[in-house]
Amino acid sequence: MGLLQEIIFGLVTGSYIAIAAIGFTLIYGIVNMINFAYGEYISIGAFIGFLAANTLPGPLPVAVVVAMIGGGIVSIILARGFFTPINHTGPVPMLLTSIGLGIVLRNGLRLVGGRSARYFETETSTFQFDAIPDLPVGPVDLLGDFFVTSEQLVVVGSAVAVFASIHLLLTRTDVGIAMRAMGDDESLARVRGIDTQLIRDSVWVLAGVLAGLAGVLMAVQTNVSADTGFSHILQILSAAILGGAGSPYGAILGAYVIGLVLAVSTAFLPSSMTGLSSAVAFVILIAVLLVKPSGIAGTEVREA
Amino acid sequence: MSVLDRLPSGRGDRALIAGLVCLLLGALFAVTPLRAQLPSALYVFVEVGILFVIYGILVLGLDLQYGHTGLVNFGHVVFFAVGAYATAMLTAQDTFAGIGLGYPWPLGLAVGVIAAAILGAAVSLTSIRLRGDFLAIVTLATAEIFHSIFVNFENIFGGNVGILGVPRPIASLVSDSDTRLVATLLVLGGVTLVTLAVVTRLTDAPYGRVLRAIRADELVTRSVGKSTITYKTQAFVYGAALAGLAGGLFALYNGAVAPGFFTIQVTVTVWIGMLLGGAANHRAVLAGLSIIMGLRLISRFALNVTPVSGDVFASIRLIVVGLILVAVIRYRPAGIWGDPQELGVDQ
Repeated sequence: MGLLQEIIFGLVTGSYIAIAAIGFTLIYGIVNMINFAYGEYISIGAFIGFLAANTLPGPLPVAVVVAMIGGGIVSIILARGFFTPINHTGPVPMLLTSIGLGIVLRNGLRLVGGRSARYFETETSTFQFDAIPDLPVGPVDLLGDFFVTSEQLVVVGSAVAVFASIHLLLTRTDVGIAMRAMGDDESLARVRGIDTQLIRDSVWVLAGVLAGLAGVLMAVQTNVSADTGFSHILQILSAAILGGAGSPYGAILGAYVIGLVLAVSTAFLPSSMTGLSSAVAFVILIAVLLVKPSGIAGTEVREA
Repeated sequence: MSVLDRLPSGRGDRALIAGLVCLLLGALFAVTPLRAQLPSALYVFVEVGILFVIYGILVLGLDLQYGHTGLVNFGHVVFFAVGAYATAMLTAQDTFAGIGLGYPWPLGLAVGVIAAAILGAAVSLTSIRLRGDFLAIVTLATAEIFHSIFVNFENIFGGNVGILGVPRPIASLVSDSDTRLVATLLVLGGVTLVTLAVVTRLTDAPYGRVLRAIRADELVTRSVGKSTITYKTQAFVYGAALAGLAGGLFALYNGAVAPGFFTIQVTVTVWIGMLLGGAANHRAVLAGLSIIMGLRLISRFALNVTPVSGDVFASIRLIVVGLILVAVIRYRPAGIWGDPQELGVDQ
């Protein structure tokens, strides 16, 4: 396979990671916690979407909407039950709580859904592009034949739609502007009359909605299981930190960097070591934290 | 005046004496013809007990890092794994896959501890300045990187099979399995107790007071002239070296290492044990760990009398473990035996 094909895979991976990373980074910026259970929110979204696709008569977009609504409801319920009561304790206890909650949800899903992976049945058309000249550099072919499936186009298209809506939400609506104000300085935001708890709740709902969408897209590309989201959480986290924790625009950029690095390193690594590509993403993450801990566009995370 | 008289605290003394007695008894079983007989119902207790004392060294190291110094190390398993792999690769003979050099085991154990300490130094030199939750992410990512390196470099680390043929010093001395288990538990338990004595000695000293001051308020500690970065690095390296010791002992007890033994589950188990018992209190973290590992025993017995499958039961046990973690942080942030005032979590 040529590099061009890997880049397409990278853009698709980057797209669903970007949607999830926006949700993750919004929670980080406004609730001030690293939510390690976010992977499970995505898995729950995937399960809701799968159930809806199999029980409701409508087409896949209906299932996607159901998954988004379901994700938002689950997210606010979990936040009210687990995170809001300990909001004052600081980042580390909240991170630990989210790790515990993640274990509970993941195994709960395993209990309900079993261990086997399920697959969305979608009708896919494949667009093949042949007769593209090879451009070999060493063992790697820089161009080569490639294909794009309609599924992949849907994933990238949804991501672009999400980016546009998030941008409009954050710049044109009162809630979005209040979110950005709270991300900058919570005390100042409260002084200006912003209901901080209400904004926090809306961030939880928004993050849950994004997790529901990301879950269905991930599940269409891979499968539905208790590990659907968990297997991506470190990539989401890397994307969010790479872009600068708390910044949605940075998260989008970070997600595509992670997606492309994963795909391109798959192309360049020997075939027996393709499993290392995930390690490459974490090496980037650590490198970013060392060189420019604030990420591409973000705040300082060092104390001393 | 003997050395023991000059120890500042009785607790450390008792642990040291108990540890030495355990080591002596274990050696007695190992080298003399003395034989132990275990009722078969006790087998499972002894097996979980051996794992508990190995994890006990892990939790003592983690407590030094988090409980005393406030360093959020969420990749503790990586130091355990590096110690185990270094020991295994240096000592293994005729391993199926990967490298086995066949050196004597004391050398392997020493290199295991040193390798883990070096990795700890590398992580802390680069990342110790990061804020708590980001240090957690870096350590977690480090653990994931090493996990995939162990799996993917089959020629060196043996892939998913791991390193086989690691010498088992106690098993080679004792042929009958009952005595072997008892001797292993006594020797490893003795090592854990001696470790407890050493870390108690360390944290009761003025050195430990500086560590706790850093956890309470780093800025104030720096302002009284303590180089907090140096102290934090040292605490991190000590914890990593202890984890390497635990890993080396695990390899020499188990006779094999594989990536499956070193998953994030190990990190989660020791973290929950530490938080449940009460961070910054050495005996409390060991007690907390024993509660969490006791759950494994309960689930093994309950599995026989309930009609559900092993998979379902494993899920239920993990749900309980997760809920314990959430509940401890929310309702008893200092743990069962911890001091809320000292940990700064009283509200």
